[in-house]
Amino acid sequence: MMKEELKNKIQKLMQKYPKKESALMPALTLVQKAYDNNLTKELVEEIADFIGVSYSRAYGVATYYSMFNINKVVGKYHLQVDTNIPATLMGAVEIFNYLSKKLGIKHGETTPDGLFTLSHVECLASCGTCPVIQVNDKYYEMMTPEKVDMLIDSLRKGIMPEIPVKYNFGTKCNVLLKNVEIKDSETIAVYKKNGGYSVLQKALKMSPEQIIAEVKDSQLRGRGGAGFPTGVKWGFLPKNIDKPVYLICNADEGEPGTFKDRQIMTYDPHLLIEGMAISAYALNCKTAFIYIRGEFSWIADILEKAIEEAKDDGQLKNLDIIVHQGAGTYICGEETALIESIEGKRGLPRMKPPFPAVEGLYGCPTIVNNVETLASVPFIIDKGASAFKAWGSPAGYGFKLFGVSGAVNKPGVYECPMGISYKELIEMAGGYSEKIKGVIVGGLSVPILTTEELEKGDGMKMDYESCAEYGTSLGSGGVMVISEKFSIPEISARTIQFYNHESCGQCTPCRMGSGMIKLLLNKIVSGNGEKGDIDKIIWFCDNIKGNTLCPTGEAYSVPVKTMVTKFRKDFEALIK
Amino acid sequence: MDNKINLTIDGQVYTANPGQTVLQVARENGIYIPSLCYHPRTGKAGKCRACLVEVEGIRGLKESCALEIKENMVVNTRTERVMEVRKMIVELHLANGEHNCIACEKNGHCELQDMAYHCGIERPHFPVEHITAELDTSSEGIIRDSNKCIQCGRCIRACNHNVMHEVLDFGWRSGDMKVICDDDKPMGESSCVQCGECVQVCPVGALTFKNAKGVAQFKELKKTKVICTYCGVGCSIDMYTKDNKYVYSMATEDNWEQLPNKGMLCVKGRFGFDFLNREDRLNTPLIRKNGELVEASWDEALDLVASKFSEIKEKHGAGSLGFFTSARVSNEENYAVMRFARGVIGTNNIDHCARL
Repeated sequence: MMKEELKNKIQKLMQKYPKKESALMPALTLVQKAYDNNLTKELVEEIADFIGVSYSRAYGVATYYSMFNINKVVGKYHLQVDTNIPATLMGAVEIFNYLSKKLGIKHGETTPDGLFTLSHVECLASCGTCPVIQVNDKYYEMMTPEKVDMLIDSLRKGIMPEIPVKYNFGTKCNVLLKNVEIKDSETIAVYKKNGGYSVLQKALKMSPEQIIAEVKDSQLRGRGGAGFPTGVKWGFLPKNIDKPVYLICNADEGEPGTFKDRQIMTYDPHLLIEGMAISAYALNCKTAFIYIRGEFSWIADILEKAIEEAKDDGQLKNLDIIVHQGAGTYICGEETALIESIEGKRGLPRMKPPFPAVEGLYGCPTIVNNVETLASVPFIIDKGASAFKAWGSPAGYGFKLFGVSGAVNKPGVYECPMGISYKELIEMAGGYSEKIKGVIVGGLSVPILTTEELEKGDGMKMDYESCAEYGTSLGSGGVMVISEKFSIPEISARTIQFYNHESCGQCTPCRMGSGMIKLLLNKIVSGNGEKGDIDKIIWFCDNIKGNTLCPTGEAYSVPVKTMVTKFRKDFEALIK
Repeated sequence: MDNKINLTIDGQVYTANPGQTVLQVARENGIYIPSLCYHPRTGKAGKCRACLVEVEGIRGLKESCALEIKENMVVNTRTERVMEVRKMIVELHLANGEHNCIACEKNGHCELQDMAYHCGIERPHFPVEHITAELDTSSEGIIRDSNKCIQCGRCIRACNHNVMHEVLDFGWRSGDMKVICDDDKPMGESSCVQCGECVQVCPVGALTFKNAKGVAQFKELKKTKVICTYCGVGCSIDMYTKDNKYVYSMATEDNWEQLPNKGMLCVKGRFGFDFLNREDRLNTPLIRKNGELVEASWDEALDLVASKFSEIKEKHGAGSLGFFTSARVSNEENYAVMRFARGVIGTNNIDHCARL
């Protein structure tokens, strides 16, 4: 039986949301924490009864999200090493193997003393500071064998150590990253001292239509990866409706190679809150959400605190902002899966239409915008659309955060004008640290570029059109530079492993197609490939692309196909 | 009517009603489009991707189950692009499951079998090694074979939205995703009430009736539309028999949109007819003669009852007779008994059990 205290907390969660079923995920998280990081069927049943959902729904949710440990024994310290592509490019596999040898356990195993469990984990959005080990809720970044020794020694003594990390930042525009180097930048006092919340005051004197017009005029495009014009999206909201309108900030940041939104939320949470407050006012929204990935629980705490501060300061008079934590799923970065997740369900993408602007959260009109998108709104309202458009070109306006990881000297987050040349961006990141084999510029789901392709013409610019001309996409701006020492077949196998793990499972081509491609690639990488396997992979990629329920099928079939076709010789070399 | 819509499917012009989907119009006109997740009673789901078609002017393939028809729409259901995707879907299912038609009760009534046939796939080209899951035979009337499950979600939708029992859902994700009962209990130990709705909508042999196991494949069965005899609701049943022996019941599909049962049955209508096959079942009326029950014809029996009624009424008056009717007969039959009691016999002594 759950303790009364826990039940009271769940009760409060149920009251926090417009619909009580939304409390299911946070309740599972809460109870798991209270029960030594483990959930049992009995606990899930109890939570289901308490919230009033069926056992199958609760259990379906608990087994869907990878952060819930159902009937899975996890040691006191769960060491999760990110071994996704950007992490691998930064040496994560070596750190995993070092840990494995040191503790004498493999993936998924627990030391006999019950102290440590070791696991591979998918991208933790720490690409610039990999290798990263997540110990329970805490990130340990830029790990080296020496730091691992220090960490394990300390954990054995029962202490979660503080291991300082130096992040690399750079800005040419001084908007989204202007506060990162300032002490206590996350507090409202510092934010206001530097002019914070003055734009909200200005916005409240404007009409909602004026704000929407300004955002539309700025041609700001969604910074999450799809690049859809924000003002146009806002314009899809039906007029004169009697239902509430919801605004959701997408802080799932799951696209491998992307680690930009966390910087805004960590160092400038009030910028996001101000952006949300202005947008919510423009959209006539009274309840807004921030959907933040579960691994970022400490950032969720920063946000909660900042919201509290903003409320106490009278900034959020007509707006309630609820922070909803995910629990380990890439697909919840897709807006309809994210909405399902807030509703307390398995994060499964919905069929479109209807689009969220018409029928979204709880069946009501909903706008989902990325963190960076919303954090860009105060600048646009303050300085005007024309100031925003002073940066970039019709191929993409404004400032944009780029996360650069892999074989560069200063992996980090850089704020640049749209259309900055790829070359200049790499220079900001300290230049290549090694000879390179290729680069993925927009998060893992965009086509890979070879060095030859990069050198074509006048050089690629980091905007929508130039990236398309070069045969790739700007995506989320997560640039992964691949050193020559890596094997593209291995990278492709690890890529499909990720997407297969993250496939929600509901549609056939994605669920089974990703499994089939994984099988074929592993076969080739392990030296068992047969003639014809490469063409089979291409056949599956061609038929999956565009034919899945949500964009995930495309997100893996496109990059995998380009890896296979552009580096076909490397694959053929592995087939005897 | 003015508001009809004209559209072209595979080069032929059809006239249809507004609000209809491409899939509906195609099916009404005998054009085959497979759909493994869409079912008229569970609705569109977008999961199987089997019903994708090409529409002129629209980039990419579209789900015909969800695509509303528009004036002058031009749809192609059998282009190379469409057929390649269909083939891939069949190949993926054949690779990942154990679809052994020879030993399947659904042989002849399986939507995956149909789809494979129409795609010209005779055998799988992408064999995948996997572990055979054990059958779930824990429930009274249903066998669950997860090796044949194609994760279409029809059963879940039916359980949660049609009959509202909320027993089934999906658990886990990606390749591990499977249908669960409650928190992954065997069906027989779960809160399932055995309505059998899930079996009714299953497109493949993942959910079948125990009664059929080893008795008959679908193609051997004869379908007879009957009215359920259990209660006065009068549900419409498709009763499946083999060699004049009852095998199982399905709610009738052809009139599923109509009352009273809208394509659903309860546990009694679904599973309560085993007695039909019993040797000791009464086939004729029996009359007790010299202390022994002797078989008689209906005429004989009714004559006897009529004469006894008349005799009792004459001797003791109409008030000495009473009539007790049943919820197992229809309203019309109950009404007839009432009229008989009051009008013919002349008594108000009439009652009804009002339950089964």
